[in-house]
Amino acid sequence: MTAHVLPPAPPVQRPRVLVVGAAFAAAASFMVFIGLIGIYLAARVDIINAGAKWLPEGSKIPLQQPNTMFITLIMSVVTMQWAVAAIAKNDRVNAYLALGLTLMLGVATIIMTTYLWTLMKLDIASGLQGVLIYTITGAHIVMLVVAMLFVALMALRALGGQFTARQHDGITAAALYWYAMVAVYALIWISIYVTK
Amino acid sequence: MALTDTRPETGTDARAVAPSVVPSPLTIFGSGDHKAVGTFYVLAALIFGVAGWVATALSSAHEIGSGTFLSSMAARQLGQTSQVGLILLVIVPLFLGLATYIVPLQVGASTVAFPRAAAAAMWTWLLGSGVFIVASFIDGGFGGDRTKSVSLTVLSLGGIIVALLLGTVCALTTAITLRTPGMTLDRVPMFTFSMLVGGAIWMLTLPVMLANLLLIWVDLRYGGATVFGEASLQFGQVSWLAHEPQIYAFLVPGLGIVADIVATLTGARLAHRNVLLFAVGAFGVLSVGAWAQNAMYPNFADDLLWQAMSVVAVLPILLLLGGVATAMKSGKPSLKSPLGLAVISLLLTLLGVVAGALLAITPLELRSTNAFANGQFILVLGAALAAGAAGIGYWGPKMTGGLCVDAIGKLNVLVLLGGGALGGLSLCVLGFTTRFNGLADAYDALLVVSVAGSVLLALGSLLVILGLLSGAHKSAPEAGANPWGTGQTLEWACASPPPTGNFADLAVVRSPEPLLDEEA
Repeated sequence: MTAHVLPPAPPVQRPRVLVVGAAFAAAASFMVFIGLIGIYLAARVDIINAGAKWLPEGSKIPLQQPNTMFITLIMSVVTMQWAVAAIAKNDRVNAYLALGLTLMLGVATIIMTTYLWTLMKLDIASGLQGVLIYTITGAHIVMLVVAMLFVALMALRALGGQFTARQHDGITAAALYWYAMVAVYALIWISIYVTK
Repeated sequence: MALTDTRPETGTDARAVAPSVVPSPLTIFGSGDHKAVGTFYVLAALIFGVAGWVATALSSAHEIGSGTFLSSMAARQLGQTSQVGLILLVIVPLFLGLATYIVPLQVGASTVAFPRAAAAAMWTWLLGSGVFIVASFIDGGFGGDRTKSVSLTVLSLGGIIVALLLGTVCALTTAITLRTPGMTLDRVPMFTFSMLVGGAIWMLTLPVMLANLLLIWVDLRYGGATVFGEASLQFGQVSWLAHEPQIYAFLVPGLGIVADIVATLTGARLAHRNVLLFAVGAFGVLSVGAWAQNAMYPNFADDLLWQAMSVVAVLPILLLLGGVATAMKSGKPSLKSPLGLAVISLLLTLLGVVAGALLAITPLELRSTNAFANGQFILVLGAALAAGAAGIGYWGPKMTGGLCVDAIGKLNVLVLLGGGALGGLSLCVLGFTTRFNGLADAYDALLVVSVAGSVLLALGSLLVILGLLSGAHKSAPEAGANPWGTGQTLEWACASPPPTGNFADLAVVRSPEPLLDEEA
């Protein structure tokens, strides 16, 4: 008796809808910050060209907290990619662990930003500088929260068993948005915290 | 869905459910059907359009004579609100609605990508638009006295932009990922391609508008309204949306509509299709205007880049005009109203970009008053409205399942051409008053002409709605799948109106005009 030989399985049909959608959303979010930081730099150049200092008297931005946040977010990129790699190998335990760590690092970044706000001694009503710095850093927190919700949602879907090595677009999409958020932080770090 | 499942569009009952064009509010309220969402966008945008053009007419009418028609604050706010409103409440949602309806059909998809997000975007846009209109009435226009009303305006505009961007993500993702086998990106229909280009430009520039609004709002709410929220500085931060070159970004999808209509109604494949694709793409790239912000960069008009972009923008339009002329010559143009509307749209576009090029030529001193730029605004938005009207006339039978009354469309050809040309050109002529003193005597007469033009554009918006409804009327003759008889692209392969799931089965696409291949 000859054994039935099954035809090879068709290739995974993967339109990657979610990844493309997340890429567009990430690009649009990124452009919000390009706009904000562009306005920030233009305003700062005007003030510095007029011979004044950018930050008002009595305000200062320490570099220790921004650097810590940057390192935290770089670590979160590693944990996020760890999750993507783990789910691609069907290693669910590692995927949960990595997603949990990513969320934890996100929470740490929020806490550090709010702590930095108390250290800056910058009044939002003091003028241009306050409005710009709080709007930009605040908007980044919003983007971070959106990214965390995205990751959390995909983690829940993974817990529900929706993602496997064959189909893990959700985690990839969340990772893409997360990386865009970290890239935005890199811009903020260099243009607001380092050069001032 | 397991791989062995039947695809939803191949289900046996797929053809059984044919939705009517104006579904009952109950079904539409929870619907994630891209056709219902698209229809709703289009109808709401056109209704807002009537109001927007009437507001434009009123703000011009105020200038006639001694200018006591409205208070000067109210007149200024009305003018600014109508400009922002005509873009974000009328033209962008009009094209986005058509895209939500038509793009999935053109690429052979069973649905739009993220259907529930598309529906959520439409409702958020509608809600935001309602709040925007209410806030405008309670002294919330830019520079208004009541800070809380202005905050509300800014917040509603932010919501509108987020919603429109979400809707755009759905349309673009559909065009990128859900194309039927064989349809490579250079084979997508012209409207889908132009929506890809225009949508991508919106995705790059509208977030910058969101950044401007965010700064205004934070300053109004927490910063004491001394910098970004200061009343006299508010509109200068967002006016780039209504100015050259950004204004062209809202016209890009219209170019694709024009090309699709010309191809179908002349019955020939478009020659040099790649050149036309390039022209649409180039026009899109030349319309990135988020950097030319009056408030941050007051001298942008002296920038060589701005001047070069303004002048070069004429070239892609000339290329398209050449393509259309070639098609008319080589094919057999059928004198239906969508073709007429497409041609006048392209004509108004040409007038708009030529006006834009003149605006960039510094010695002409056309930038010393707002009149010329306002005239160009009306020309460009008139062109966009005409393209939208052409698209609705063209796809109306697909949307309603019945043939629309062509006489309404033909009347609209005259109305929209008259409206756009009178409304825009009169203000452009007015822009020359600094050069020619004699024009001062004609000041009031030119303004009257401009008001008449805006009123005609309002009437034109109304006629588009009437035309669409005439197709939905019980007495309308049945359209059939391919009402023009010469449809080239996949939307003409499914029933009118398309059933749930759109297509039963599709052959592999081998050219940009799959329906013509089938006949051959």
